[in-house]
Amino acid sequence: MKRSTLVRDLKGAIGRHWVLHTPEDLLVYEYDATIDRGLPEVVVLPEDAGGVARAVRIARQHDVPVTARGAGTGLSGGAIPCEGGVVIVTTRMNRILELDPENQIAVVEPGVINLDISRAASPYGLYYAPDPSSQKACSIGGNVAENAGGPHCLRYGSTTNHVLGLEIVTAEGEVVLLGGKTANTPGYDLTGVVVGSEGTLAIVTKVIVRLLHKPEATVTLLAIFDAVTQASRAVSAIIGRGMIPAALEMMDKNTMEAVEPFVHAGYPPDAGAVLLIEVEGLREAAQEQADVVVSICRELNAREIRIGLSQEDRDKLWAGRKGALGALGRLAPSYYILDGVIPRTLLPTVLDGVYEACERFGFRVANVFHAGDGNLHPNVMFDERVPGATQRVLELGEEIMRLCVDAGGSITGEHGVGYEKRNYMSWIFSADDLEVMSRLKAAFGASDAFNPGKIFPTSKGCGEVSSRMRAAIAKVGAGAYV
Amino acid sequence: MIAQATVLDDLRAIVGDKHAYLPDDSPTFAVDGMNPKAIVEPRTYEEVGAVMRYASQAGLATIASGGRTKPDIGNLPARYDLALSLSRLDQIIEYEPADLTVTCQAGISVPELQRRLRVHGQKVPLDERPGKQPSAGGMLATNSNGPSRHAFGELRDFTIGMRVVTADGRTTRAGGKVVKNVAGYDLCKLYIGSLGTLAVIVEATFKVMPVARIERTLAFRLRTSGNACSLAADLLRRGLALSYLQLRGWNNGANDSWLLEIGLAGSEGPVARSENELAGMAADFKAEVADGDAPVNAGATDSGESKEARGLLCRFSVLPSRLSAFIGGLQALEPPDMVAEPATGVLRASWPNSAAALTLLERSREIAKSHSAACFVERCPPELKRRIDVFGDPPPAFELMRRVKQQFDPNGILSPGRFVGRL
Repeated sequence: MKRSTLVRDLKGAIGRHWVLHTPEDLLVYEYDATIDRGLPEVVVLPEDAGGVARAVRIARQHDVPVTARGAGTGLSGGAIPCEGGVVIVTTRMNRILELDPENQIAVVEPGVINLDISRAASPYGLYYAPDPSSQKACSIGGNVAENAGGPHCLRYGSTTNHVLGLEIVTAEGEVVLLGGKTANTPGYDLTGVVVGSEGTLAIVTKVIVRLLHKPEATVTLLAIFDAVTQASRAVSAIIGRGMIPAALEMMDKNTMEAVEPFVHAGYPPDAGAVLLIEVEGLREAAQEQADVVVSICRELNAREIRIGLSQEDRDKLWAGRKGALGALGRLAPSYYILDGVIPRTLLPTVLDGVYEACERFGFRVANVFHAGDGNLHPNVMFDERVPGATQRVLELGEEIMRLCVDAGGSITGEHGVGYEKRNYMSWIFSADDLEVMSRLKAAFGASDAFNPGKIFPTSKGCGEVSSRMRAAIAKVGAGAYV
Repeated sequence: MIAQATVLDDLRAIVGDKHAYLPDDSPTFAVDGMNPKAIVEPRTYEEVGAVMRYASQAGLATIASGGRTKPDIGNLPARYDLALSLSRLDQIIEYEPADLTVTCQAGISVPELQRRLRVHGQKVPLDERPGKQPSAGGMLATNSNGPSRHAFGELRDFTIGMRVVTADGRTTRAGGKVVKNVAGYDLCKLYIGSLGTLAVIVEATFKVMPVARIERTLAFRLRTSGNACSLAADLLRRGLALSYLQLRGWNNGANDSWLLEIGLAGSEGPVARSENELAGMAADFKAEVADGDAPVNAGATDSGESKEARGLLCRFSVLPSRLSAFIGGLQALEPPDMVAEPATGVLRASWPNSAAALTLLERSREIAKSHSAACFVERCPPELKRRIDVFGDPPPAFELMRRVKQQFDPNGILSPGRFVGRL
């Protein structure tokens, strides 16, 4: 069937204003916060699950793939239609349908912005815990697809630990409820596998999330160290002391250098690393933990420790961290964001390895990451106009992922596998492991219906991404966050 | 069908003569009164794989077990040929206290695992019952969580990796050993609570946590379940240093009698403050202190572990805000013994000696439905089990679940019939 009939059918099903198909309209939907690009054939913006289901059925009749898209802030190309087809955008499905403070539950549509859930819950003393750095912009549907993390996942866990149920549209265009509002819903935990499935199993049309009580007290500490190794040791010491802070973040010298002119955080120019540590709970608990953190940092020769108690002071301490990635753009024309995980005790060794590799390849690197759970984000700076630089930066990225895997870690902690890392999957999973995963996909009847080209290793390229776009890699958009 | 003697010989070729045998008269490996044709006790993943390849080829319905503390959970098996005991897979594979993770084999007893962690001041927040010896794999397969889940999470929250043997005998992995990981589908979630119907769990990696410096148990007597639930809700709202919260009620004739057990854990300051506030709140809710610091005896209502009891034990899940009203509904029907988690709305109700178990179940399911609660029968007389699905009506996603089962166990040899909708 021709594209024109696809467009006509979708207009009939969704309404003609909500179907985009001209080249200039489509261009807006060919990218997210990664480097990959892929042009959809048609973009639709349904307003409810019924519309999503109709769009999916029509796409299947026309034998074209469907890729779901939220706010487009993803860092693994999750919303990029590698093989063209229909992109279903959830931005119109942005209602908070239910907020039940008594049972600490919210039911929301996938296009709702992450932070808006916490805003709505705030009057009841509740909030939604997972806080990707993009939380002012990213959608909950995208968070579910990628199992998004964030600084506070150290203590509270990632998206998957806060989603109780989902409404999905299957590849057959059926609307199905998974899980529910209560504990122990009967049957296999399909909610648990759809979260983090990167849009390859189903399209999420409703999300039931758990809300938490806001802590009584929060203390933010910023500790400045001469060297990264000292800061790494402090991380191990804090965790080793039997304490799990709410957040435990690290920024290295290059990051501070980039951030300082914008944020004026007062980072000393010769400092090697800062740790940003947040502890919370009852007043007594927060204070006690803050005291422990201070004494550990002192023992490890922190040159300065700043403490923020009020919201305003705490925001100031966070400002450098939150603005980090945006500021990195000053240091080089392009940068390549990596996401890997290692056992936290190996932090000093693996970080050394990262710096060594970057030096050997001749690239500067800025590390700003979730140190407490061993989730590294090396940001490699380079100039794509230099011939061969892009290829070398990719090779470096691969080597850094190798370091993580060799340390017993993972190729992604919160950004997802997407297109870019699918060929690294075989480093951590055997052919049998992957075959079992593909059985789940088969059970959902979703073989190539949803977001093809993602997660599973293949020699096939991602449409135009494969050769041309990957060669022009790493033009990270201004809206990228880690 | 292959002769029993042949099966035995073939299994012995895999695991050695001592570790494959025929059932004797003892019910050790019985499931709902059914005995297997043979019992096999592999010691390595390779042996589990070889056993499963064999079972797959021979079409032997296989039920894996660990500590066998809840042998009869689930629907009646459709068939039962082979008991696959994992109790010899009892090793800790990797434990790095500073990483706060531990990898152990499925057959390790949870108390043993906790002992090993305790040496380093750590624990897995598993809610194993005192005096029971469940295996780590068994708790995973049955998704056994308890009254500390609201504080420390459920199995699905702190299990970060798994190794399983598939129906056709391949050892495969899901997740990993790092605390944050989004590579690939999170199949751990699928295996947790699947009652051994998708794969045989042979290894798991857990996040561990520090044992609190101070742990206290308090108990209060209350007159009504409404008061008890309100007190619990108030406690949760204040963010006190709770480690668990459990409500018990007994059927003692006309009077309501409720005991709210509260675990506190943390360091001195927060625990002391929590105790103080608790004392004040207790007065507001007319709660009397009971038994001070001693943990209260669990009794027979616990979780279907008592083999002798022939009564009906149901686990309901209701929204916490409706727990009290739901309890009222059950009491009006026929007052059960109850253990509830006010934080999560999970309620176990037991009618130990009911003569009309089927009617009772049907009517309590009606009440559950009117409160949008799920009902799972954890224990009931075998004759009743033949007539019901212990999971209740199939869930809305049943067709997807059926397809998952079909994909993972195409020949239907893994605990056939025991899961939702007799999968």
